[in-house]
Amino acid sequence: MAKEIRQIAIYGKGGIGKSTTTQNLTAGLAEAGKNVMVVGCDPKADSTRLLLGGLAQRTVLDTLREEGEDLELDKILKVGFKGTRCVESGGPEPGVGCAGRGIITSIGYLERLGAYTEDLDYVFYDVLGDVVCGGFAMPIREGKAKEIYIVASGEMMALYAANNISKGIARYAKQGGVRLGGIICNSRNVDRELDLLKAFSAELGTQLIHFVPRDNIVQRAEIRKKTVIDFDPESAQAEVYRQLADAIEHNTQFVIPKPMTQERLEEILVEYGLFD
Amino acid sequence: MVKKINLDMSTVENREMRLGTIIGWDGKASQLIEESDYEGRSEKKQGHGCGGGKGGNCRLCELKSPLNQQTMCANAIVECQIGNTEDCILIQHAPIGCSADNPWFNLAFHNGLVRRKKKLQNLKIMSTNLSEKDMVFGASDKLKRTIREAKERYNPKAIFVSMACATAIIGEDIDSIAEEMEAEVGVPVVPLHCEGFRSKHWSTGFDISQHGVARQIVKRNPEKIQKDLINIVALWGTDYFTQLLAPLGLRVNYMIDCANYNEMHQASEAVATTTFCHTLGSYLATALEQHFGVPQIDAPQPYGLAGTDAWLRAIAKVVGKEKETEEYIESEHKRIAPKVAELREFYKGVKGFIMTGSAYAHGLLSVLRELGIEVQGSIVFHHDPVYDGAGKHQDSLKEFVDNYGDIEHYSVSKTQAYQLPQVFRRVKTDFVVIRHQGLAPEAAKMGIPALAMGDEHIPVGYEGIIRTGEMLKGILARKKFNQVLNRHVESPYSKWWKQQDDPFLLAKHPEILDTVIK
Repeated sequence: MAKEIRQIAIYGKGGIGKSTTTQNLTAGLAEAGKNVMVVGCDPKADSTRLLLGGLAQRTVLDTLREEGEDLELDKILKVGFKGTRCVESGGPEPGVGCAGRGIITSIGYLERLGAYTEDLDYVFYDVLGDVVCGGFAMPIREGKAKEIYIVASGEMMALYAANNISKGIARYAKQGGVRLGGIICNSRNVDRELDLLKAFSAELGTQLIHFVPRDNIVQRAEIRKKTVIDFDPESAQAEVYRQLADAIEHNTQFVIPKPMTQERLEEILVEYGLFD
Repeated sequence: MVKKINLDMSTVENREMRLGTIIGWDGKASQLIEESDYEGRSEKKQGHGCGGGKGGNCRLCELKSPLNQQTMCANAIVECQIGNTEDCILIQHAPIGCSADNPWFNLAFHNGLVRRKKKLQNLKIMSTNLSEKDMVFGASDKLKRTIREAKERYNPKAIFVSMACATAIIGEDIDSIAEEMEAEVGVPVVPLHCEGFRSKHWSTGFDISQHGVARQIVKRNPEKIQKDLINIVALWGTDYFTQLLAPLGLRVNYMIDCANYNEMHQASEAVATTTFCHTLGSYLATALEQHFGVPQIDAPQPYGLAGTDAWLRAIAKVVGKEKETEEYIESEHKRIAPKVAELREFYKGVKGFIMTGSAYAHGLLSVLRELGIEVQGSIVFHHDPVYDGAGKHQDSLKEFVDNYGDIEHYSVSKTQAYQLPQVFRRVKTDFVVIRHQGLAPEAAKMGIPALAMGDEHIPVGYEGIIRTGEMLKGILARKKFNQVLNRHVESPYSKWWKQQDDPFLLAKHPEILDTVIK
């Protein structure tokens, strides 16, 4: 029997660094010999830029719109760093149609075109920051992704978003079997960030799976359209992402999160001295 | 007036927001009149409704059921209003399923055209037939192509575009497209925001259809008044209004079903607007009054002797024919008296029940009671505590109860077939008159002679009392058939439900479902 592909969705507040984190950690997994596909689920279609070395990607929906329904996989799936397979769902033009439904449509096409091959170890869905409608919850709702990681920082709004996303996970966990694998902290250097994130994760009933410190090397690599592992494999930050990849590879802690009330969330923030 | 109708906007405020419409209520008719506080609402008093005098705009209390058997929506109503005009086209900007009602409404259109002695034709509704890709990318181009196609194929006098749930969710900008395409195709292109989830009752679809007509079809600033023309907001009924109004020297201009563009266009030239049913006609009548200066008739509906008298007198006042009208009323009373007496004799001891739309029910009930038929209960599909016109003499439920007495079991319930076992256990009836497809067979299967009433104008006016009396004889004659039918039909509802006594049990005690449904 074929092994099951680990399908993972990365959620988090808009601008928190989901795409950067996803690509850097998938680079780590690819480097370790894993077969990985990254599916960008954001109409901006910038989830695979670092793996591909640029935005050369044609999105599933652009291709569908311009060339009709007889798609070929190689038109929309590009191979990037260390064999990572990269797809961007894309979206309609801003202000028209339904981007959420577009994600459902794109993933449906990927399945029909046979993108989910048996040799894959991982599929990552990098989902638009704020889940604005049911369509963006699709990877978890329809049981595509069984594992979720939320990227957060010590900033209030990032935690607020993470808590909201947990509510969605808890809702779909009952029917689809989706579980939260942990919180990834993409540090913003706020006070006592590590303690805060640990406490927040514990309150949710999950773990802080990894703490990614802030390092300008990430920015330098991004400007050169590369992941840190690709740009400077010897750097400390590259090692951080390898550790994150390893933590995910060996993760066994999958839970139904227990989202907290707004009051409790604010209590935790006060407790960890953010408002001093 | 309750609220000024805003024709600058392409959208219509829902009936439940505008009028406080409800779809679930059970009690005595007199109690609903009290709770509705028509007068208070029409004067915008504070504290009306069941909360009475507590301040604030109390809404009419409503029974909210956890189970709803749905039959129609505002989109379907637009389909059967705008889609049933002679020389205009309706484009349903929707997946094709929203057009599933077309065959049924084609039948209604055929019947209406025949009744009005107009040329028979099929309804002309087009669908943009949206698919998954259209949902994702938007379907503006497809709609534009369809508008061009409609113009080329049918050369209509106007093109209406209706919104559906799917297109409303993705925010299709039908207003801008309509404006752009109107310039291109050279005929009015009218956007109608009638997505089904918009309102809990389909009657909002009447308002949306009429809004579009008032906004873009009715002639603005007419140079002349047609002094002998009266607008009747109607559905597909036989043209009995011409006969009824002929002694007043009036010609009838029916809106919207079976009308053509010119008939709708000239509505602003009429001397007045009235209707066979305030639920249907009040919005357009009010829009024509507020924006085109065409007065609406502030009168009860033309049913039974009292209603028809008052209705004719109110019209006579507007057209200055009071004297002729009094003579006419007198002669009509005399004319129908022997026949009505004969019918009253026939209906002695007979009990009736009706299930129809709101204000129309008040009219039909008047006619049943005029015939001496006992009515213990009835169902209306919704209730408007006030109408857009808010006319002093338009409170049709009060008018009915004042003239003909109370109704013990008066229920507001939107075509909920599951309630019929309880409804027909607590009231006795020999027949039921139903205005909506689907419910009549349900009653018939329970052994009750049922009429699915197609021609809603049958009870209108003096002659309407006789027409109704004659028609019901035929229905009563089916008693045996219905009893046989009942013996051979099994109800789909559970044994538990059939044993319950209160048709509104689920609304009053929704928690009971937890113990019943395992």
